[in-house]
Amino acid sequence: MALSQDRLRLVLAWVVIVLIVGPVGGALWLGVVHGDSPCILCWAQRTSMILIALVGLFVLRYGPRPRYLAMAVLLGAWGVFMALRHSGLHLARDVGQGFSTSILGVHTYAWSWFIHWIVLGVIGVLMLLLREGFSEGETRDPGRTGRFAMGLFVVAVAGNAVQAFISTGPPPFIGQADPVRISLNPRHWVWMNEELEGRMSLRGSWTIPTPNPDAEDPDPAHGPLANLPTLAVSRWERITARLNGELTDLAASLPDLPVSPSSPEGRGGQGVRTTGGQGVRYLAVTDHYGVYLLDSALSNVEHHVVLDPGYSIDLTPLAGAAFLGDTLAVLSTNKSYALLRPDPDADANAEWRHFLETGGGVTELRLGRFATVRARQMYVLSLAYDPSADELITVAVPSPRQRRFVVSRFARADFLLASEFVPRLADGLTPSGPGRGLAEYVVTGAAVADGYLYAFSAAYSTLLVIDLQAETVRAAYAVPGIEHSSGLAVRGSQLLVVQADGRVAAVERPIP
Amino acid sequence: MEFLNFLVILVVGWLVWRRPERERLAFRLLVVSCLLMVLLFLIGTHTSFVPGVNL
Repeated sequence: MALSQDRLRLVLAWVVIVLIVGPVGGALWLGVVHGDSPCILCWAQRTSMILIALVGLFVLRYGPRPRYLAMAVLLGAWGVFMALRHSGLHLARDVGQGFSTSILGVHTYAWSWFIHWIVLGVIGVLMLLLREGFSEGETRDPGRTGRFAMGLFVVAVAGNAVQAFISTGPPPFIGQADPVRISLNPRHWVWMNEELEGRMSLRGSWTIPTPNPDAEDPDPAHGPLANLPTLAVSRWERITARLNGELTDLAASLPDLPVSPSSPEGRGGQGVRTTGGQGVRYLAVTDHYGVYLLDSALSNVEHHVVLDPGYSIDLTPLAGAAFLGDTLAVLSTNKSYALLRPDPDADANAEWRHFLETGGGVTELRLGRFATVRARQMYVLSLAYDPSADELITVAVPSPRQRRFVVSRFARADFLLASEFVPRLADGLTPSGPGRGLAEYVVTGAAVADGYLYAFSAAYSTLLVIDLQAETVRAAYAVPGIEHSSGLAVRGSQLLVVQADGRVAAVERPIP
Repeated sequence: MEFLNFLVILVVGWLVWRRPERERLAFRLLVVSCLLMVLLFLIGTHTSFVPGVNL
């Protein structure tokens, strides 16, 4: 089946009419009658649709020359990109929180996406139906329908020009990100060039460099808090078990902790961990997705797995570890988490899909992502568990784009955000200079004990003691001698500050 | 500048409709209009050229 030139011209004339009356005329109607003025991005999207209709008029008048079809394809492709870029501002918002008028429940910027896709499809169909041998020809009479389309086009563009003059003004003024409703009263007209302000960027607020705590200054004397007391390292230990990468966090299990009756340890009916006071075990994670359950001497691996970071929730390098009773929680820098459990009955074949490597005896319970509000677009390097509130806790690390110190708490019941806060400084803690503050700390390890969140910063080797009830930094201590700290664990009255090289510094745990 | 662009488009539409022998001028103005539209969109998105989502 192929179309004759006359039939093609008729079909094309109707396509142009539909495009002009539908999206272009509809947008004009919404703007003038309903006060739905377009923003600068909407204007470009509307212009693109008008230009596609204009290319249709070229084909009507001069035939389907290759450069017209090429122009139509380019406009359709550019229109799809514009709609994606514009919709990206709003697609992830909550229900009903789009921008501007919606038609059939879909906002206009998303309709533009659909329309440009349709345009590309229509161009493809018309090219398929073109008869072989169509070539450049002479100027043609567009026919009655074609002439009507041309007249309608001129009227519609004139209407848009009037609306654009009122809404955006004459050159050099351009459209606005936050337009105002149209008015015939010139005193209400807003003409500006605010869109020319601001620095250029490829990704804007999504330009977040991955954290690199190794690059931080470890000298406590240069820190943002003044006159901190010193906490001395009482003992150095070392993880001698072989790990598959740099150590990025360590957690210590609490002895005699109640465990789930369904867990391997709970099946004996005891209901408590049977390791006794000396049976502390450690959970270590590495930057190569390694998860290791270590014995009390930090020398033997009881269980280990290497997580598959690709399916189906992306894991970036692991940065946090915590015991949730008998469940092992590990966190990656992008706030994705995995829950694991030692299980002697684990089927290695069934777990193959979860682990790149396993020594057997471990089951993956869950993969998920923590969603934050204040800590959005910030990475994390720590994970703690507060058993009294049954919450997991992360501390975001600052970036050049986001300079904040945010503590986020997630309910273990549903792994959703329970609360977030930016801690205050208690009396007696003062910044070391103007403009300095908590946002300079890069917390690489966190652990909870006695209602306090202990957070250790690789920057300035400083221990922060945060009162979780009062949301206040109660105390801070300089811990000299630490290099490239990567984690923190509580072991009774001690804190274990972990370094990436596997060395562990034990310090007495201060209680303010 | 959107107003200016619509004036250009209006001229092109008029040329195609009423002065079809000026095809070369009309097509050149069409290209100018496309470039102006692209420029205005890029100005509107210059703080983040690509969509602000996970890519």
